Formats: sequence, structure tokens, C-alpha cells
Amino acid sequence: MTAIGVDSRVTGAQRYSVDAERPGMLHAAFVRSPHPHARVRSVDASAVPGECVALLPEDVADLHMYGCQVRDEHVLARIARHPGDIVAAVAAPTPEAARAAARLVEVDYEELPAVFDPVEAVAPGAPQLHPDGAQSADESVSIGVRPLAGTNVCHRFRLVHGDLAAGFAEADVVVQQAFRTPSAAHAPMEPHGAVAEWDDGALTVWTGTQTPFNLRADLAVAFGIDEERVRIVGAPLGGSFGAKTFVRHEAPLAALARKAGRPVKVVLDRTEEFVTLNRHPSVIRVRIGAKRDGTLVAKELDCWVDTGAYADCGPGVATKLGYAGVGPYRIPHVRVDALAIYTNLPPNGAFRGYGAMQSIWASERTMDVLADRLGISPLELRRQNLLRDGDVFATGEVLHDVQFERCLQAAADAVGYEEDPTGKGLCVLLKGMQTPSRAAIAVQRTPVGYEIRSAACEMGQGVRRSLQLMGAQLLECEPGQIEVPAPDTASSPFDTRTTSSRTTHMMGRALEEAVGDLRAGDGERGYGEVRNGGGLDPDTGQGIASTHWHQGAASARVTVDEETGKLTVEHLHGVAYAGRVVNPEGAELQNEGSLTMGLGTALFEAIEFADGQVANANLSDYNVPAIGDLPRRFTHEIIEREGAEVHGLGETVLPPVPAAIGNALYSLGLEIHQLPITAERVLAAVDVRDGRA
Amino acid sequence: MRVELQLNGRPAELECEPDEMLVEVLGREGLSSVRVTCGIGVCGACTVLVDGDPVSGCLTLAPQVAGREVTTVEGLGGSDPVQRAFVEAHAFQCGWCTPGFVLTAKALLADDPDPSPEAIVEALGGNLCRCGSYVKIADAVRRAASEERR
Repeated sequence: MTAIGVDSRVTGAQRYSVDAERPGMLHAAFVRSPHPHARVRSVDASAVPGECVALLPEDVADLHMYGCQVRDEHVLARIARHPGDIVAAVAAPTPEAARAAARLVEVDYEELPAVFDPVEAVAPGAPQLHPDGAQSADESVSIGVRPLAGTNVCHRFRLVHGDLAAGFAEADVVVQQAFRTPSAAHAPMEPHGAVAEWDDGALTVWTGTQTPFNLRADLAVAFGIDEERVRIVGAPLGGSFGAKTFVRHEAPLAALARKAGRPVKVVLDRTEEFVTLNRHPSVIRVRIGAKRDGTLVAKELDCWVDTGAYADCGPGVATKLGYAGVGPYRIPHVRVDALAIYTNLPPNGAFRGYGAMQSIWASERTMDVLADRLGISPLELRRQNLLRDGDVFATGEVLHDVQFERCLQAAADAVGYEEDPTGKGLCVLLKGMQTPSRAAIAVQRTPVGYEIRSAACEMGQGVRRSLQLMGAQLLECEPGQIEVPAPDTASSPFDTRTTSSRTTHMMGRALEEAVGDLRAGDGERGYGEVRNGGGLDPDTGQGIASTHWHQGAASARVTVDEETGKLTVEHLHGVAYAGRVVNPEGAELQNEGSLTMGLGTALFEAIEFADGQVANANLSDYNVPAIGDLPRRFTHEIIEREGAEVHGLGETVLPPVPAAIGNALYSLGLEIHQLPITAERVLAAVDVRDGRA
Repeated sequence: MRVELQLNGRPAELECEPDEMLVEVLGREGLSSVRVTCGIGVCGACTVLVDGDPVSGCLTLAPQVAGREVTTVEGLGGSDPVQRAFVEAHAFQCGWCTPGFVLTAKALLADDPDPSPEAIVEALGGNLCRCGSYVKIADAVRRAASEERR
């Protein structure tokens, strides 16, 4: 029998942020708008029992607007911009008492016209969500934001490469297609939870977050205090996938704690999860031109990206969605226009893939249509145009360590694509990492071995284990001798955030520096920091989109019952390029998890709205994949290269899954333009193919 | 009201309201592995064993377990073959759903010491892992089965 340390995850001993407690704490419940768009005329909390504390609009009058990329949010909404927007809050001795008291708060609303579709939201005369701005480029944070004044567009990302008109003039075949993707729920098993406490004007928040330093900065802005007066204490996350990023429930919770003069805790219920942060719905139009021999000459992408009631990181998502949609191809003439658009849906934000899935779905589906028109195999068309080492991408940057061809070939081989492509589909992708970004790490000797302190957040992706493994190798000790405490902005060195599959890549290099520093010094402590420059010009899309690239592919084999529209994925295969793998089991789990989430995205995940209200805000009506949903053959591989650096792989094989399945259907003559690929949509495609619709 | 039961192998008394759900009451007892998640009995994260059968703590009224034997992963100690198999197979990521999977697997193996792949899929069908660790979870169940038969 192998001796294995007892992992706190199997004994139930692992504590998450929802388990945080403070002496004397109260429990919070939020009062949420039932309307998609309404001005708050007045809030009456006179019926709330005396043992409770109510947070009302006048209590937050001194607070400032905040937002991670556009400062467009109030701590309590004065105008509710989506059903579920928080307009007041109550603290009480128990969660039940808080919820009961919240129901006694009377809010008088003046309803306003609302809009729920990103294309309609940019049409003339559409209701305006943020007419007073908070949209000026001066107020933008962290990335150059390009709002269009007088519209619902909070950011416009454009990429211009070559001369599009000249490119299309050279094309022998031009294909144009339009695609839609719905909103989706991250549905982490652990809901959002936090405790906020004030002490002598300083705020501490215990919360499960991927972005401790961004949260600290934003809360400091909201409360008008120095960042050093805000402390964020993290905990392992019970799943996140982008859901627990930037400021969510923490701002009203902190304001409530300030008024109560006591610590206050909140844990959102499952229904609230569906109005807290979701995935950006999108409409994407692709036009692509090629010469008769299959050489791509021009590509045009127009993207309507629905960021919901608040920008959150929608500008960043629209940007990444925009350039990822170009695809890993040599195309001399490219134009991308991606709009992040306000609507009266709940806010949309980071979601595993950060917009890449949406545009890759559209772009890679279009490739198969083009291949069909050209009479070339979809595999050959891709192979012929793939970027190779030293090629220049549409952003103007030169790509290195390029492995698209290997990834694509591996995906094709897994399903026997070259023997017979019928019922099979492929997708290949390029995806960037958060750029610019910065990571730092501190190493300190302890009686046990070493402690590695960083703001890297453990959310199931295995960062603790990866740091232990990398540390053990560098420090020449056992992984078990290395302690990796949870992030705490009071003691962890700065890190941009735990997103975009960047942590092993960035932290690994910072750790090498820190260990070098320790060795060069007293052997007791060391510090390492890595800074990656870059970024794109939002008006031209030129610059450095990513300091390293996530490269991958997927393939699928499907069968269809044409009587019922039932689609069966017989085999799904994902391929991620890892450079060098640090934590083999962790890498496999991340690949399998990404494929599983991609399968849900492709086949059944969609938040359904009725006038902006979520109609399926529970895990019975909103389905996430269970073990029985996995295809009979569910396989993946991780490609390594001797001497390569570590590449992130936490989300690489999610984005290509829907297009691989969609293209498998296309090989059967079934054209799907909208996710998820439900039986109804398959049946409709059968009718179209057979001339019945 | 007071509910008397066997909790993790020891006689215990739970103080609860007649209409309180078991998941809430066990949480108050400090058994934080039984986690409120979906609240409607579809995710399996609050699974406990009642007389050896897996049930959802969010669908079970606390008074229903009076006189019965309730087991949570805290009661397994840490060296149970199923727990060991989950660790060896790396069958978790964030770990939130793991206690529910471990208990469901335990109940399966008590009924069927050598489950077929189909039986594993059927038995675990009511437990959700949003991290998508299913391949390794199924592997853990097979490992535990062969370990227990040894």
C-alpha cells in the first residue's frame, strides 16, 4: 500500500470562503430589483425588525463608482439595470432572519424601457443603460477602453491588418456566415460567499476570489480609501471558472458591515448565482475569402458581445474574442470589429476561455463551409493556411514555438479523419494569455522546509500542487515540505490575477527567480518577480496580444437520429499544447474538465431569459454535464516539446469543442448556427437539408 | 425538537425544527463536508448515508433520520479504501463535490463489490462535478473496488 497524505478534499476538512466566520458576525441578504430597468424612487425599510440593519441608498451616498475596466457600478444601484440588481441590503443575526427581513423592504420603482439583445441595443432609439457616461476613456481602468458616446457600446475593439477590400478582390470564393451563442452559467458548486469587517477605517474581506489585488483596488476606489486600508483574504475556491472575479457581492456587503459596525457574512443562494455573473452572449458575422487553391486572402469579423448591465471585463472579453476569431491562420488582409454592448441582462464577465469560444465557434464553423465551397478537405484547408514558426499574426506580432499543425493532426488522427471524414469534425485554435501582466513570489525557509507565498488562487486547477512540485525541484526538497498558504493581500506579493491560464507559466518563472535570489542571499528568503509587457492598440489591434499562446484542437465523431434530432457524440478528443508539463495529473484533470465544459456548452448549456428574467435559475432546469453525459469515447492528449517553456492549459480545449461537433454535423449536411445544439435545432437542420423548410 | 440518531458511529442528539432540512442541521453540528449547493436534490454535494443508502441532505427532513445511522465523510476517518482510492486516482479538483462522490461510491461498492462501467455511471449519475473530474472519479471507484476485493 502506498503511503499517501490524507488530502483535505476527501476528508471534508477543506474550508472554503463560505465557511469563513468572524466573532459577532451578522448575516446579509440582498434586496434585488424584480425589473430589468427601473429607477429607484424610494426605499422603505420601516417594517424591518429592530434587530436588523438595513443598508439604504442614503447610506452609500458618499461612496464612489467602481468597475474593473469601466467605473460604471454603484454599491447600491440607483437605477436597477437588470433583474437581480442589488438596490438595498439587510443584516440580521441569522441568514433566515436576513432573508425574511429583506422581503419586508419596500422599494418604489419607476420602470424604464429595457433591451435584451446586443444587436437591438445598438440600433437607433434603443434604451440607453448608462446615458451619463462613466464611459469616458479617462475613467477606463487597466485597458484602453473605446466607448461610443450616446450608444450602449462600452468598448469597441478594432483590428486592421492589410487592405481588406484588396484582399476580397483577390478572392475566388467568398463565404459569409452568422452565428449566435447564448448566455451560460459558470455554476461553480460553491456559491459566492464572503465576510466583510471594518476596524478603525480599514476593511478586511474574506472571500473566494480569483482576483484578490483587483478586488482590493476596486473596493479602495468604492470606499475612497487607500489600497493599503483594504485587505483581501482568500480561501480555496469550490470552483470558479471566471465567476469569482473582480467585485461581485463584496461591495454591498462591505457597505453593510460599515453601517452595522460588525462583521457581516453572505452566501448567495443558487438563484442569485444566475444573476451575479454569466457568460457573454454573442452574435458573430464572419466573411472569409480564398483563392481557388485554398489560400486564404481576406477575413472580416463583426462581433456583437453582450456584456449585460455593467461592463465588468466585457471590453477585455470583446478584445480577446475579436482577435481569437482571426484563428491560427496566415491571412494577409483582416478586419475585426468587436463591440462590448450594454443590455438589461445580468452582467457577463470572464468565463473559461474569455470570449474565445464564441468567436472560434463562428470562425471554425465558417472554415468548413469554405472548404465545402472550394471542394477541399477541411483538414487540408486548415493545414494549408496554419501559422508556422516565425509567421506574423494579424496583430503584427511574430509567433514562436508554433504547434498548431501538430495539434490539428493529432485531433484528426484520433477520430480517423483522413480515413473517412463523414460524421466527423475538427477545430483548431489560438488563444492568448492576459497581457500585460505581472507576477511575484516570496520564498521563505521554515522549520518544515519552505513556504511559497503568492496571490495565486487555488480553485481546483492545482496551483498549490504545481507550486509544490516546481518548488521541490528548484529547492531540492520533497513537495510535502513546501507550504503554500492561501492568498492574503497583507502578506502575498502582488499578482495581476489568477486568470487566463497564466499562473503556472508566470509563477513558475517568478519562482525560479525567487529561488535564485534565496540562493544568492542568506538562504532564508528570496523574492522573484516577472513582468510581461505588451497589449493591443484598441483602434488597430496591433501590438502584443499575448506573450505566450495557448494552442490546441478538438475533434468529434457524431451520429444523429434524424427522426428525433437526437445527437450522440460518439467520440470527443481534445489536444492542448503544454510546452512542458509541471503537474501531470493536474494537467489531465484540467484538460478533461475543459472538454467536459465544452461538451455542456455545445450540447445543452444556455441561460433562458424571458424579458430579462432568468427562466432556468437552478441546476435542474440549467443542466451541467453529469458523468452519464460523457461520450463513450472521451479522450485527450497533452503535447510537450523538449526544452519548451511552460504553457498554460487550463482552458485550451473548451473553446474548440462546439465547433468540432458543429462541423461533424456539417459533414452530414446539417448546418447549425446557434448554440447549444439541441435536438430541435438538429431536426430543423435536417428539414432545411432535405428541403422541407 | 430533539432527534436521536447514530451519527458517524456514535449516539448523537440533533436540536432542530420539525421542518428543517438535514443539510442545515449537520452544518450546524460542524460537519461542513455536507454542503448546501443546489438545494433541490440534483447535484449530490450534500449526500449523506442513511443506514448505508445515499440521500440528499437538502431533501431529507432532519426528523426523518431519528433512530437511524447517518454517515458523513468525517465519519470515514481518512483511511477508508474509497477515500484512499480517490487520492490515488487524483479524482478531484476543487474538492467541493468529493465527499458526496465518496459516499455514493461507498454505497455502490457495498451493494456491488465489482461494478461494471455502466453500473458506476448509473450510480454516480446524481452527483455533479463542475470541474469535470469524472474520468478519474470512475477510475477511483474501480480502484476502490479492486482494493476491497483484495
